[in-house]
Amino acid sequence: MRFGAANGAPAKPSPKDTPPAVTRHSSGFDQFCGFLRSAEGLSVLDMSGASQANITFITGLGHRISSDDIVGTMQQCFGADFLDNQQAASNAQRFIEQTLTFPDQSFDGALVWDALQFLISPVLEDTVTQLLRVMRPGGIMLLFFNADEKATRTPVYNYRIQDQKTLLQTPRSGYQRSQHFNNRMLERLFDRAASVKFFLTRDHLREMIVRR
Amino acid sequence: MWSKRKEDELPQRPERPVSTPAHSPAPVEPLRRETNTMSSPTRSFDPEPSSVRSGSAALGKNVTVKGQIFAREDLTIDGEVEGTVECHEHRLTIGPNARVQAGLKAREIIIQGSIQGNVDATDKIDIKKEAKLVGDIKTSRIVIEDGAYFKGSIDISKPNAAKAAPQPPAPSVSSQPLSQPVVSTPAPVTAGSVK
Repeated sequence: MRFGAANGAPAKPSPKDTPPAVTRHSSGFDQFCGFLRSAEGLSVLDMSGASQANITFITGLGHRISSDDIVGTMQQCFGADFLDNQQAASNAQRFIEQTLTFPDQSFDGALVWDALQFLISPVLEDTVTQLLRVMRPGGIMLLFFNADEKATRTPVYNYRIQDQKTLLQTPRSGYQRSQHFNNRMLERLFDRAASVKFFLTRDHLREMIVRR
Repeated sequence: MWSKRKEDELPQRPERPVSTPAHSPAPVEPLRRETNTMSSPTRSFDPEPSSVRSGSAALGKNVTVKGQIFAREDLTIDGEVEGTVECHEHRLTIGPNARVQAGLKAREIIIQGSIQGNVDATDKIDIKKEAKLVGDIKTSRIVIEDGAYFKGSIDISKPNAAKAAPQPPAPSVSSQPLSQPVVSTPAPVTAGSVK
Protein backbone atom coordinates (compact mmCIF):
# COMPACT_ATOMS: atom_id res chain seq x y z
CA MET A 1 0.00 0.00 0.00
CA ARG A 2 1.59 3.26 -1.08
CA PHE A 3 0.31 6.76 -0.94
CA GLY A 4 2.13 9.08 -3.25
CA ALA A 5 2.61 12.80 -3.18
CA ALA A 6 0.66 15.19 -5.28
CA ASN A 7 2.49 17.14 -7.94
CA GLY A 8 3.53 20.72 -7.64
CA ALA A 9 5.05 22.91 -5.01
CA PRO A 10 3.26 23.26 -1.73
CA ALA A 11 1.23 26.36 -1.18
CA LYS A 12 2.75 28.57 1.42
CA PRO A 13 0.66 29.94 4.21
CA SER A 14 -0.72 33.31 3.38
CA PRO A 15 -2.60 35.20 6.04
CA LYS A 16 -4.59 37.02 3.38
CA ASP A 17 -6.72 34.08 2.37
CA THR A 18 -6.77 32.38 5.71
CA PRO A 19 -10.34 31.51 6.60
CA PRO A 20 -11.81 32.83 9.83
CA ALA A 21 -12.32 30.74 12.93
CA VAL A 22 -15.61 28.89 12.89
CA THR A 23 -17.51 26.65 15.22
CA ARG A 24 -18.80 23.43 13.79
CA HIS A 25 -20.84 20.48 14.86
CA SER A 26 -18.85 17.27 15.00
CA SER A 27 -20.55 13.90 15.11
CA GLY A 28 -17.17 12.21 15.29
CA PHE A 29 -16.22 14.13 18.38
CA ASP A 30 -19.63 13.43 19.85
CA GLN A 31 -18.92 9.74 19.51
CA PHE A 32 -15.43 10.21 20.90
CA CYS A 33 -16.97 11.91 23.94
CA GLY A 34 -19.35 9.01 24.40
CA PHE A 35 -16.28 6.83 24.75
CA LEU A 36 -14.69 9.26 27.21
CA ARG A 37 -17.80 9.32 29.34
CA SER A 38 -17.88 5.55 29.53
CA ALA A 39 -14.96 5.43 31.96
CA GLU A 40 -12.83 7.56 34.23
CA GLY A 41 -9.11 7.96 34.44
CA LEU A 42 -8.40 7.44 30.75
CA SER A 43 -5.31 8.75 29.02
CA VAL A 44 -6.05 11.00 26.07
CA LEU A 45 -3.60 12.34 23.52
CA ASP A 46 -4.35 15.70 21.89
CA MET A 47 -2.24 16.22 18.81
CA SER A 48 -3.12 19.82 18.06
CA GLY A 49 -0.92 21.27 20.75
CA ALA A 50 -1.88 22.47 24.18
CA SER A 51 -4.99 24.54 24.61
CA GLN A 52 -6.91 25.64 27.64
CA ALA A 53 -10.25 24.58 26.19
CA ASN A 54 -9.19 21.03 25.41
CA ILE A 55 -7.33 20.57 28.68
CA THR A 56 -10.27 21.84 30.71
CA PHE A 57 -12.74 19.66 28.85
CA ILE A 58 -10.75 16.43 29.00
CA THR A 59 -9.52 16.80 32.57
CA GLY A 60 -13.02 17.90 33.59
CA LEU A 61 -14.19 14.44 32.60
CA GLY A 62 -11.64 12.98 34.97
CA HIS A 63 -9.06 11.99 32.39
CA ARG A 64 -5.42 12.65 31.90
CA ILE A 65 -4.39 14.56 28.80
CA SER A 66 -1.12 14.59 26.90
CA SER A 67 -0.28 17.18 24.30
CA ASP A 68 1.83 16.79 21.22
CA ASP A 69 1.79 19.34 18.44
CA ILE A 70 2.21 17.18 15.37
CA VAL A 71 1.78 20.06 12.91
CA GLY A 72 4.38 22.06 14.80
CA THR A 73 6.78 19.13 14.50
CA MET A 74 6.02 18.90 10.79
CA GLN A 75 6.85 22.55 10.37
CA GLN A 76 10.10 22.12 12.26
CA CYS A 77 11.17 19.06 10.32
CA PHE A 78 9.94 19.89 6.84
CA GLY A 79 9.89 23.67 6.74
CA ALA A 80 8.13 25.65 4.03
CA ASP A 81 8.61 23.20 1.16
CA PHE A 82 6.44 20.86 3.01
CA LEU A 83 5.82 17.99 0.63
CA ASP A 84 9.18 18.06 -1.11
CA ASN A 85 11.08 17.98 2.14
CA GLN A 86 9.24 14.90 3.30
CA GLN A 87 10.89 12.97 0.53
CA ALA A 88 14.31 13.44 2.08
CA ALA A 89 14.88 10.37 4.21
CA SER A 90 16.73 12.30 6.88
CA ASN A 91 13.84 14.72 7.37
CA ALA A 92 11.34 11.90 7.49
CA GLN A 93 13.44 10.04 10.02
CA ARG A 94 13.75 13.14 12.18
CA PHE A 95 10.00 13.64 12.09
CA ILE A 96 9.25 10.06 13.10
CA GLU A 97 11.78 10.26 15.94
CA GLN A 98 10.19 13.42 17.31
CA THR A 99 6.58 12.41 16.90
CA LEU A 100 4.69 10.08 19.20
CA THR A 101 7.65 9.36 21.41
CA PHE A 102 5.48 7.63 23.96
CA PRO A 103 5.73 4.12 25.34
CA ASP A 104 3.63 1.38 23.77
CA GLN A 105 -0.07 1.40 24.60
CA SER A 106 -0.01 4.70 26.45
CA PHE A 107 -3.39 6.05 25.41
CA ASP A 108 -7.05 5.14 25.44
CA GLY A 109 -8.02 7.96 23.14
CA ALA A 110 -6.26 10.16 20.61
CA LEU A 111 -7.42 13.37 19.00
CA VAL A 112 -5.35 13.30 15.84
CA TRP A 113 -7.47 15.94 14.09
CA ASP A 114 -6.45 16.69 10.48
CA ALA A 115 -2.68 16.37 10.51
CA LEU A 116 -2.27 13.11 8.62
CA GLN A 117 -3.54 14.47 5.31
CA PHE A 118 -0.35 16.49 4.91
CA LEU A 119 1.98 13.50 5.08
CA ILE A 120 3.21 11.53 2.14
CA SER A 121 4.31 7.96 1.87
CA PRO A 122 6.25 6.46 3.63
CA VAL A 123 6.05 9.05 6.43
CA LEU A 124 2.29 8.61 6.52
CA GLU A 125 2.40 4.85 7.03
CA ASP A 126 5.16 5.18 9.63
CA THR A 127 3.11 7.72 11.54
CA VAL A 128 0.04 5.48 11.46
CA THR A 129 2.18 2.61 12.72
CA GLN A 130 3.37 4.80 15.59
CA LEU A 131 -0.18 5.86 16.34
CA LEU A 132 -1.40 2.30 16.57
CA ARG A 133 1.59 1.44 18.73
CA VAL A 134 0.85 4.08 21.36
CA MET A 135 -2.86 3.23 21.50
CA ARG A 136 -4.20 0.60 23.83
CA PRO A 137 -6.34 -2.16 22.35
CA GLY A 138 -9.92 -0.90 22.28
CA GLY A 139 -8.80 2.72 22.33
CA ILE A 140 -10.20 5.12 19.76
CA MET A 141 -8.82 7.87 17.57
CA LEU A 142 -10.56 10.79 15.94
CA LEU A 143 -9.19 11.93 12.59
CA PHE A 144 -10.30 14.47 10.03
CA PHE A 145 -9.62 14.56 6.31
CA ASN A 146 -10.65 17.20 3.86
CA ALA A 147 -13.17 15.63 1.52
CA ASP A 148 -13.09 18.29 -1.18
CA GLU A 149 -11.51 16.64 -4.19
CA LYS A 150 -10.87 19.93 -5.95
CA ALA A 151 -9.19 21.74 -3.10
CA THR A 152 -5.54 22.41 -3.87
CA ARG A 153 -4.72 24.00 -0.58
CA THR A 154 -6.12 22.93 2.73
CA PRO A 155 -5.97 24.97 5.89
CA VAL A 156 -4.44 23.42 8.94
CA TYR A 157 -6.68 24.08 11.90
CA ASN A 158 -6.34 24.15 15.61
CA TYR A 159 -9.34 22.40 17.08
CA ARG A 160 -10.67 23.71 20.37
CA ILE A 161 -13.39 21.83 22.15
CA GLN A 162 -16.44 23.92 22.95
CA ASP A 163 -18.71 21.17 24.19
CA GLN A 164 -19.49 17.55 23.51
CA LYS A 165 -20.67 18.24 19.97
CA THR A 166 -19.03 21.50 19.01
CA LEU A 167 -15.50 22.39 17.98
CA LEU A 168 -13.94 25.75 17.31
CA GLN A 169 -11.73 25.58 14.22
CA THR A 170 -8.99 28.19 14.20
CA PRO A 171 -6.84 28.24 11.07
CA ARG A 172 -3.12 28.28 11.72
CA SER A 173 -1.66 27.86 8.24
CA GLY A 174 -2.39 26.29 4.90
CA TYR A 175 -0.70 23.46 3.08
CA GLN A 176 -1.18 21.44 0.01
CA ARG A 177 -2.51 18.05 0.89
CA SER A 178 -0.42 15.06 -0.05
CA GLN A 179 -3.40 13.65 -1.92
CA HIS A 180 -7.14 13.29 -1.75
CA PHE A 181 -8.17 10.58 0.68
CA ASN A 182 -11.33 8.66 0.02
CA ASN A 183 -12.93 6.13 2.33
CA ARG A 184 -11.40 3.14 0.63
CA MET A 185 -7.87 4.51 0.93
CA LEU A 186 -8.39 5.34 4.57
CA GLU A 187 -9.70 1.88 5.30
CA ARG A 188 -6.58 0.46 3.72
CA LEU A 189 -4.38 2.83 5.65
CA PHE A 190 -5.87 1.61 8.92
CA ASP A 191 -6.32 -2.00 7.91
CA ARG A 192 -4.63 -3.16 11.13
CA ALA A 193 -7.20 -1.38 13.30
CA ALA A 194 -10.17 -3.22 14.76
CA SER A 195 -12.71 -0.95 13.07
CA VAL A 196 -13.13 2.33 11.23
CA LYS A 197 -16.19 4.50 10.99
CA PHE A 198 -16.80 7.57 8.81
CA PHE A 199 -18.94 10.62 9.28
CA LEU A 200 -19.57 12.73 6.22
CA THR A 201 -20.27 16.37 6.81
CA ARG A 202 -21.52 19.25 4.74
CA ASP A 203 -18.35 21.27 5.08
CA HIS A 204 -16.02 18.98 3.15
CA LEU A 205 -14.58 17.41 6.24
CA ARG A 206 -14.56 13.66 6.50
CA GLU A 207 -14.54 12.60 10.13
CA MET A 208 -13.24 9.22 11.05
CA ILE A 209 -13.24 7.14 14.20
CA VAL A 210 -10.67 4.36 14.33
CA ARG A 211 -10.75 1.74 17.02
CA ARG A 212 -7.46 0.05 17.79
CA MET B 1 16.53 61.31 31.85
CA TRP B 2 17.69 61.93 35.40
CA SER B 3 15.63 59.30 36.96
CA LYS B 4 16.72 56.76 34.38
CA ARG B 5 20.35 57.27 35.26
CA LYS B 6 19.62 56.70 38.88
CA GLU B 7 17.87 53.46 38.08
CA ASP B 8 20.89 52.26 36.18
CA GLU B 9 23.00 52.65 39.23
CA LEU B 10 20.73 50.55 41.35
CA PRO B 11 21.73 47.08 40.18
CA GLN B 12 25.31 47.57 41.26
CA ARG B 13 24.35 47.73 44.87
CA PRO B 14 23.70 44.12 45.70
CA GLU B 15 27.39 43.29 45.28
CA ARG B 16 27.75 42.94 48.99
CA PRO B 17 25.52 40.65 51.03
CA VAL B 18 22.02 41.91 51.04
CA SER B 19 20.81 43.03 54.39
CA THR B 20 17.24 42.86 55.48
CA PRO B 21 15.53 45.93 54.28
CA ALA B 22 12.81 45.78 56.85
CA HIS B 23 13.36 49.18 58.39
CA SER B 24 14.85 50.95 55.41
CA PRO B 25 12.78 53.89 54.33
CA ALA B 26 10.84 52.97 51.29
CA PRO B 27 11.26 55.62 48.64
CA VAL B 28 9.74 55.55 45.22
CA GLU B 29 11.02 52.10 44.32
CA PRO B 30 10.57 49.89 47.29
CA LEU B 31 9.80 46.77 45.32
CA ARG B 32 13.24 46.25 43.83
CA ARG B 33 14.95 46.67 47.13
CA GLU B 34 12.93 44.09 48.91
CA THR B 35 14.01 41.51 46.42
CA ASN B 36 17.15 39.54 47.14
CA THR B 37 18.67 39.44 43.71
CA MET B 38 21.67 37.33 42.88
CA SER B 39 22.39 39.26 39.75
CA SER B 40 21.26 42.39 38.06
CA PRO B 41 17.64 42.44 37.04
CA THR B 42 16.95 42.01 33.37
CA ARG B 43 15.84 44.76 31.08
CA SER B 44 12.65 43.31 29.88
CA PHE B 45 11.55 41.27 32.83
CA ASP B 46 9.90 43.02 35.65
CA PRO B 47 9.63 40.90 38.76
CA GLU B 48 6.07 40.07 39.51
CA PRO B 49 3.81 42.21 41.56
CA SER B 50 4.18 39.35 43.99
CA SER B 51 7.41 40.90 45.15
CA VAL B 52 5.25 43.23 47.16
CA ARG B 53 5.10 40.40 49.64
CA SER B 54 7.90 40.14 52.05
CA GLY B 55 10.44 37.51 51.15
CA SER B 56 11.10 36.77 47.52
CA ALA B 57 14.30 35.79 45.81
CA ALA B 58 15.44 36.03 42.22
CA LEU B 59 18.06 34.47 40.00
CA GLY B 60 18.90 36.92 37.27
CA LYS B 61 19.39 36.05 33.65
CA ASN B 62 23.18 35.87 33.91
CA VAL B 63 23.10 33.31 36.69
CA THR B 64 23.66 29.60 36.12
CA VAL B 65 22.94 27.09 38.84
CA LYS B 66 23.60 23.38 38.74
CA GLY B 67 22.20 21.42 41.63
CA GLN B 68 19.32 21.61 44.02
CA ILE B 69 17.49 24.76 44.98
CA PHE B 70 15.23 24.80 48.01
CA ALA B 71 13.43 28.04 48.67
CA ARG B 72 11.34 29.01 51.64
CA GLU B 73 10.08 32.09 49.92
CA ASP B 74 8.80 33.04 46.51
CA LEU B 75 11.44 32.56 43.87
CA THR B 76 11.91 34.01 40.42
CA ILE B 77 14.32 32.35 38.01
CA ASP B 78 15.39 34.14 34.88
CA GLY B 79 18.72 32.40 34.32
CA GLU B 80 19.86 28.85 33.70
CA VAL B 81 19.16 26.07 36.16
CA GLU B 82 19.95 22.41 35.96
CA GLY B 83 18.87 20.05 38.73
CA THR B 84 15.83 20.47 40.94
CA VAL B 85 13.94 23.44 42.27
CA GLU B 86 11.61 23.19 45.23
CA CYS B 87 9.67 25.98 46.86
CA HIS B 88 6.96 24.22 48.74
CA GLU B 89 4.21 26.55 49.90
CA HIS B 90 5.53 29.32 47.69
CA ARG B 91 5.35 30.72 44.23
CA LEU B 92 7.94 29.92 41.60
CA THR B 93 8.20 32.16 38.56
CA ILE B 94 10.19 31.10 35.53
CA GLY B 95 11.03 34.31 33.71
CA PRO B 96 11.15 34.80 29.94
CA ASN B 97 14.92 34.48 29.73
CA ALA B 98 15.07 31.35 31.84
CA ARG B 99 16.35 28.04 30.55
CA VAL B 100 15.58 25.37 33.07
CA GLN B 101 16.42 21.72 32.89
CA ALA B 102 15.01 20.63 36.17
CA GLY B 103 12.13 19.14 38.04
CA LEU B 104 10.09 21.89 39.64
CA LYS B 105 7.90 21.74 42.73
CA ALA B 106 6.04 24.65 44.25
CA ARG B 107 2.65 25.77 45.39
CA GLU B 108 2.17 27.91 42.33
CA ILE B 109 4.30 28.01 39.19
CA ILE B 110 4.25 30.70 36.53
CA ILE B 111 6.11 29.85 33.35
CA GLN B 112 7.31 32.31 30.75
CA GLY B 113 10.63 30.77 29.76
CA SER B 114 11.85 27.39 28.65
CA ILE B 115 11.65 24.30 30.81
CA GLN B 116 12.64 20.73 30.26
CA GLY B 117 11.51 18.65 33.18
CA ASN B 118 8.51 17.65 35.20
CA VAL B 119 6.48 20.31 36.92
CA ASP B 120 4.53 19.75 40.09
CA ALA B 121 2.39 22.52 41.56
CA THR B 122 0.06 21.81 44.43
CA ASP B 123 -2.15 24.75 43.64
CA LYS B 124 -1.81 26.16 40.15
CA ILE B 125 0.32 26.32 37.02
CA ASP B 126 0.15 29.29 34.72
CA ILE B 127 1.81 28.81 31.32
CA LYS B 128 2.19 32.02 29.36
CA LYS B 129 2.13 32.19 25.59
CA GLU B 130 5.88 32.62 25.19
CA ALA B 131 6.64 29.60 27.35
CA LYS B 132 8.08 26.32 26.19
CA LEU B 133 7.60 23.31 28.39
CA VAL B 134 8.62 19.76 27.66
CA GLY B 135 7.72 17.52 30.55
CA ASP B 136 4.84 16.21 32.58
CA ILE B 137 2.61 18.41 34.68
CA LYS B 138 0.89 17.55 37.91
CA THR B 139 -1.31 20.19 39.46
CA SER B 140 -4.74 21.10 40.74
CA ARG B 141 -5.41 23.90 38.31
CA ILE B 142 -3.82 24.92 35.05
CA VAL B 143 -4.01 28.02 32.90
CA ILE B 144 -2.36 27.81 29.51
CA GLU B 145 -2.30 30.60 26.99
CA ASP B 146 -2.73 29.90 23.30
CA GLY B 147 0.65 29.89 21.64
CA ALA B 148 2.49 28.24 24.50
CA TYR B 149 4.49 25.21 23.46
CA PHE B 150 3.79 22.21 25.62
CA LYS B 151 4.73 18.61 25.07
CA GLY B 152 3.89 16.19 27.83
CA SER B 153 1.04 15.04 29.96
CA ILE B 154 -1.20 16.83 32.41
CA ASP B 155 -2.46 15.16 35.53
CA ILE B 156 -5.03 17.13 37.45
CA SER B 157 -5.08 16.12 41.09
CA LYS B 158 -8.23 17.40 42.69
CA PRO B 159 -7.55 19.39 45.83
CA ASN B 160 -10.72 17.88 47.28
CA ALA B 161 -9.12 14.48 47.64
CA ALA B 162 -6.21 15.79 49.64
CA LYS B 163 -8.52 17.96 51.66
CA ALA B 164 -10.91 15.22 52.58
CA ALA B 165 -8.49 13.32 54.81
CA PRO B 166 -7.64 15.81 57.57
CA GLN B 167 -11.22 17.04 57.82
CA PRO B 168 -12.35 17.23 61.45
CA PRO B 169 -15.71 15.79 62.45
CA ALA B 170 -18.12 17.21 60.01
CA PRO B 171 -21.82 16.87 59.60
CA SER B 172 -22.45 13.80 57.53
CA VAL B 173 -22.95 15.34 54.14
CA SER B 174 -20.46 12.71 53.08
CA SER B 175 -20.46 12.04 49.39
CA GLN B 176 -21.39 15.48 48.14
CA PRO B 177 -18.79 16.30 45.50
CA LEU B 178 -17.24 19.71 45.74
CA SER B 179 -17.56 21.12 42.29
CA GLN B 180 -15.36 24.18 42.71
CA PRO B 181 -11.88 24.10 44.11
CA VAL B 182 -12.10 27.06 46.43
CA VAL B 183 -9.19 26.85 48.79
CA SER B 184 -6.10 24.95 47.95
CA THR B 185 -4.47 22.93 50.64
CA PRO B 186 -0.98 21.88 49.75
CA ALA B 187 -1.19 18.21 49.02
CA PRO B 188 1.73 15.89 49.60
CA VAL B 189 3.88 16.35 46.57
CA THR B 190 5.01 13.39 44.57
CA ALA B 191 7.85 13.75 42.19
CA GLY B 192 8.14 12.81 38.61
CA SER B 193 5.71 11.76 36.02
CA VAL B 194 3.09 9.16 36.31
CA LYS B 195 3.47 6.84 33.42
